[in-house]
Amino acid sequence: MNIYVINGPNINLLGTREPEIYGKETLEGISKECQEKASKVGHSVKFMQSNYEGEIVEWIQDAIINKVDAIVINAAAYTHTSIAIHDALKSYSGYKVELHISNPHLRESFRHVSFISSAVDSVVAGLGPDGYIQVIDLLSELPIKVN
Amino acid sequence: MSNGKLLIINGPGLSDLSDHNEVANDDLSLSVIEQKCIETSGEFGLEVDFRQNDDESELLRVLVYDNSNFDAFIINPAGLSKSSFIDYDAFSAAINKITNQGKPVIEVRIENIFIQGSSKPLRGNDSGVGLVSGLGKYGYVLAINSINKKLSNN
Repeated sequence: MNIYVINGPNINLLGTREPEIYGKETLEGISKECQEKASKVGHSVKFMQSNYEGEIVEWIQDAIINKVDAIVINAAAYTHTSIAIHDALKSYSGYKVELHISNPHLRESFRHVSFISSAVDSVVAGLGPDGYIQVIDLLSELPIKVN
Repeated sequence: MSNGKLLIINGPGLSDLSDHNEVANDDLSLSVIEQKCIETSGEFGLEVDFRQNDDESELLRVLVYDNSNFDAFIINPAGLSKSSFIDYDAFSAAINKITNQGKPVIEVRIENIFIQGSSKPLRGNDSGVGLVSGLGKYGYVLAINSINKKLSNN
């Protein structure tokens, strides 16, 4: 299974950004763990991060063109603002998971609205960096269509 | 005190899942979910107490008075969070009390409630409750996997 893991703004600061909320693990560490888990269960994972909304939109469009089987997206702050990412995800017909390290619904009210949630199949939040690993692991068990 | 016991509580209306569209469109029932939970937990040596109750005050009582008997919690509040007869703040406070002890609590929803739009996720202060929505019975599997990892790291 081909999987894109797409990360949004400020996620490159993981490990130093508010570690009491996001943990001490770095993005490089999470990426490495994702790759390890993926190779164990036979997936191919492309792990990406961008601070630019348009670049994230283009990666989702790439996923459409390249017939990627699943997208795991942590759109970070763009979750609460980006109709462009919502639209791009709507155009992608593979399996889509919205992921967050913390649970936005337990935080400031401006994080309670997600433009992503209604455009994806499922939402996983608040499980820490381990959420990425758990989702990649579970994708092999889910009965989803693989190209 | 760690005892490897996991409480899974399912709220009002979850006894009948016949109108739920499962991820794979396979037949979904609460006993299918229970079986999956027992299997998954068994692989980790975790013991599961799987319950469903239409009585909202009973759910609150379990969280308030029985929480010391368990190491981790999976809650599917179902109809509870939509329009509840019980004090919703009391429900959140009971959950916060559990997470403050460092015990994992994960809210699991069978369907993606954000598409359906009829239910809202648990809200509250930053209590560290996890959320898994839209993965059908596999949502419970993911939650148990995550809980196992958390408990083994403690």
